[in-house]
Amino acid sequence: MSKVKSLVKIKPKTYKSGDIVKVDFVAMHPMETGMRKDKTTNRFVPADYINSVKFIYNNETITTMNVWESLSTNPAISISMKIADAGDLKVVFTDNGGSVNEKSIKITPKG
Amino acid sequence: MQRREFFKKLGFVAAAAAVVPSVSFAAEAAAPKGPNEFSFEEALKAITGSKGAAASDKIKLKVPEIAENGAVVPVTVEVDSPMSAEDYVKTIHIFATKNNNTRCIAAHLTPANGKAMLSTRIKLGTTQDVATVVELSNGTFLMAKQNVKVTIGGCG
Repeated sequence: MSKVKSLVKIKPKTYKSGDIVKVDFVAMHPMETGMRKDKTTNRFVPADYINSVKFIYNNETITTMNVWESLSTNPAISISMKIADAGDLKVVFTDNGGSVNEKSIKITPKG
Repeated sequence: MQRREFFKKLGFVAAAAAVVPSVSFAAEAAAPKGPNEFSFEEALKAITGSKGAAASDKIKLKVPEIAENGAVVPVTVEVDSPMSAEDYVKTIHIFATKNNNTRCIAAHLTPANGKAMLSTRIKLGTTQDVATVVELSNGTFLMAKQNVKVTIGGCG
């Protein structure tokens, strides 16, 4: 089980209930396709990529994604989200090796 | 006797030498095949069933015409949709139509997203069409495509 660092950011930083904001998610992950040859060993580097992402807002799953190895290294994914109540947004992501990682941030609407 | 022994051993070594490299070449030559080795047409058929997807100007597909770096090509899909419980975008698919694995991402949205938008960065191995297929809550499919010229391929 490998720990993968990630970041979740809301844009704009200040928002009210009812606003539609942008959610930016970035994970530090190599996204190896399995088809790249390591030039020193002359062997294919095994496939190692994030294969799913789930966005959970106050315990409600609002978006799920299937991801494949064609995404760039250190994958960045953005979606929109309608702000409702204060609480938290949790992003859970898995990779083809079975590792599960997550990142939570607080949702704090001003008014 | 000694000479015969020598030639026998030589024959054995030669036979072994002939076999071993070919075994290792076979293991190295074949690139491992991913589980989603669909062509774009096959993937489109699998996703839409017999319905197919209609080109639509409700979709705004933003992708550069020329990719400076094939390893990091930004793609944004926006769909004109109320995202209400009765009428929303269920899924946005993005395809790199000529990559070994054409599938890049499939985002399953809900009305809680407020807006049908998906933005990410993909790898493109060569000049190709980047396509998006959108599934609406009423069961219909829309699609949009744009060609991206890739000067330096992004797959290593």
